[in-house]
Amino acid sequence: MKPHRRASGEGTIGVPWYLSAALLASLCVIVGVMWDISWHSTIGRDTFWTPAHMAIYAGGLIAGLSCGWLVLATTFGGAASRGDTVRFWRVFHAPLGAWVCIWGTFAMLTSAPFDNWWHNAYGLDVQILSPPHTVLALGIAAIQLGALLMTLALQNRAGAAATQRYRVLYAAAAGLLFLNATIMTTEYHRRVLMHTPQFYVVACLVFPFYLVTLARASRLRWPTTSIAAVYTVVMLAMVWLLPLFPATPRLGPIYQTVTHMVPPDFPLLLLAPAFVLDLIFQRAPDTLRGWRLAALLGAVFFAVFFAAQWSFGSFYNSPASENWVFASTNYYYALPKTSYAYRHIFPPVRPAKLAGGLALAAGLAVLSSRLGLACGDWLRRVKR
Amino acid sequence: MSRPPLPNGLAALAALAVLVIAGVGHVGSPDVYFRGAAGPYDVGVVIRPPGVVPGQLDVVVQVSNEPAAQVTVQPVLWETGADGAPPPDLAAPVPGEAGAFATRLWLMTSGSYSIRVVVSGTRGTGTVDVPVVSAATRELPMSPALGALLLALGAFLVFGLLSIIGAGAREATLDPGVPVDAPRRRRARVAVCSAAAIFALALLGGNAWWNHSARAYRRIIYKPLASRVSLADSGRVLQFVITDSRWRQHEETPLVRDHGKLVHFFLIRAPGMDAFAHLHPVTSDSNDFRVALPPLPAGTYHTYADIVHRSGYAETLVDTLVIGGQGSPAFSPTDSDDSWIVSGALTAASDTRRATLADGSIMSWDRGDTSLVANVIAPLHFTVTAPDTRPAVLQPYMGMSAHAMIARDDGSVFVHLHPMGTIAMAAQSIFSRGGDSTRDAPLPMPMTSATLPDTVSFPYAFPKAGHYRIWVQVRRAGRVLTGSFDARVR
Repeated sequence: MKPHRRASGEGTIGVPWYLSAALLASLCVIVGVMWDISWHSTIGRDTFWTPAHMAIYAGGLIAGLSCGWLVLATTFGGAASRGDTVRFWRVFHAPLGAWVCIWGTFAMLTSAPFDNWWHNAYGLDVQILSPPHTVLALGIAAIQLGALLMTLALQNRAGAAATQRYRVLYAAAAGLLFLNATIMTTEYHRRVLMHTPQFYVVACLVFPFYLVTLARASRLRWPTTSIAAVYTVVMLAMVWLLPLFPATPRLGPIYQTVTHMVPPDFPLLLLAPAFVLDLIFQRAPDTLRGWRLAALLGAVFFAVFFAAQWSFGSFYNSPASENWVFASTNYYYALPKTSYAYRHIFPPVRPAKLAGGLALAAGLAVLSSRLGLACGDWLRRVKR
Repeated sequence: MSRPPLPNGLAALAALAVLVIAGVGHVGSPDVYFRGAAGPYDVGVVIRPPGVVPGQLDVVVQVSNEPAAQVTVQPVLWETGADGAPPPDLAAPVPGEAGAFATRLWLMTSGSYSIRVVVSGTRGTGTVDVPVVSAATRELPMSPALGALLLALGAFLVFGLLSIIGAGAREATLDPGVPVDAPRRRRARVAVCSAAAIFALALLGGNAWWNHSARAYRRIIYKPLASRVSLADSGRVLQFVITDSRWRQHEETPLVRDHGKLVHFFLIRAPGMDAFAHLHPVTSDSNDFRVALPPLPAGTYHTYADIVHRSGYAETLVDTLVIGGQGSPAFSPTDSDDSWIVSGALTAASDTRRATLADGSIMSWDRGDTSLVANVIAPLHFTVTAPDTRPAVLQPYMGMSAHAMIARDDGSVFVHLHPMGTIAMAAQSIFSRGGDSTRDAPLPMPMTSATLPDTVSFPYAFPKAGHYRIWVQVRRAGRVLTGSFDARVR
């Protein structure tokens, strides 16, 4: 699987078709998921054929079919094309990322009958995370991880000669994967939870792992910031674009007047800790590694994220944020008017519980960073 | 008065406890049947609740007297009223069935709903509310075929992921073209084994999560208010007490009168269903209801208490009661509408078309040669002939031309219906008044005329095959008359 030379740009390296397909699939599935969440918040009723579902299916199909074809072409295309692939079941050859994408497609397919049965047995699940939704989410994440691995293999094979194109593509692939992680944890970092311990516990458990892993494998100077920027830009696009489309609820009971697509919350202020993590990556001496580096990364992530998000939460839950820029009035149609979210009130938390939760979050950030370092160092060496 | 032995002893009680399945509104008969008027249009409505929440119910509307151009249906939750309801759904014409329209509606929460049916046509627009209770009543088992499919797919996913991990650990970090050496193979095997252990833990965790979700779902499955039925005052009084803590702590809306009564209480002797009573206990505190017990024969009885909440939520509370002897000879009914009948036992061969009523009138079941089939609208048409063979002149009985109670021989089905169907009239009145209701303001009786025709009909389909007994009650010359019929349903 040699990178394609571009006819019109000598010395630059083109993007292989399968990588373009995988990245398009990664974008499709995550945009589809965000659109679907907005759909369920606004319209409520859906069918198999909603545009949001189509985007998710398209992502799964693009990834599965393109990577399936890649497997056939590589396996039966002659030995010359197999040098930079991994062997599967002793017969088939393809880049590692292609196998992960194919697995993701199968996981998405498996979730369909499982989810259908779940709805019939237990009623329609209206939460993001349920067992069948988790299988679907794993499939979606696998497609995004597969796209990332394929980008990574090309970037790492090029070594120091890796073009800016691959570095940027990697940042995009990593950003989309990170976006998925933030969406899957949405229910734990809503606006009214910004002054509760679970907000920081979940954020510190998940985000440092992703950011450190993905940044460690990058060849960019500001990898963590770039990844957080991709997340922030996509989220802002959703926050500002979705409300431009008129829509009304088709399910009841309706407790809120909804006239346009409901946007997600304003993005988390992850750019702040990401920027500081990049400074650490740039300036930390080579002797600082392993648990010591993880302790520094985790502690800094927790401190900066807590400082930024707690103070932003005070603003975000105030009337000053009730405008199109921050969209803090993004109430879904069935949000009761007695809810904390509607009243812009933080749920009460005992100080001792808050302190214990924050201490746990700090510890989890260190653990999460350490895992991220280990995974990131391995990813940095992926070449197939 | 001698005490005859109990029909089946304690074993019967235990069996009854297993067989009697509580239901919402009725027992073992979840579908809603309604016949009435939507403005100038005569409509029949059949609603099949999904049994899960949130879930989709099927609605079929049959407009019979006038051509309808359009039918819409809208689910209205009592708490929010029409203001919080989603926009109406257009029901699609049913191919091959003139005047029939059908669609599916989502009910997103448990509670008391009305399906608001609006018919439009050449005679303008007509509206009618058909109450329906939304409740989770069942848990769907997984079919072996689907279970096998999911197991195979799951195994494929796990095996595939382990293969990917093995391939990645073995070759992913190698430079292109470099062969795999022995240490890398070893490392790959270790990685696969470690991943397998982690997956096993993850699968155990997933299984625990699934079980937790199933338990959480079971907690929301409908449970009727806990209640207790017993005898008091030396067996002369039947006492029905709502003991449920939700009720005692006022977490449920109060009761409203349906057909002028807070409780319609039924006793059916098991197993032959040869004794039946329809009573109306009264209360002074909303918890403890009492009624004079008619002189029923000794035995074990299924009891069913039909109640309607202020929200329009109708439910049937079931129990069993052992009656030891013939009640007091000085029996005086608590309510003038109380009634009872003792007749022959239901047998496997029972299939009756004619009943002689207490005043010598004859009640005939006009079903011709039509056989009764489960889930198909049954021909429940009855005609009453006076003893002098002339058509009987009937009078309203609790606001209706007739009441019918249908029970399956095993006690698994019990339904109390009227010519307008299975709905609680009180619930419909509440919704038609925009959800407003008060306990003590009697809800309007739809029928006030003094004389009624000699025929009565009920829209209903038996929910499953089996042997049923039907009691049809009418009033003639100021006297409540009960006809008893047996039916075999295929």
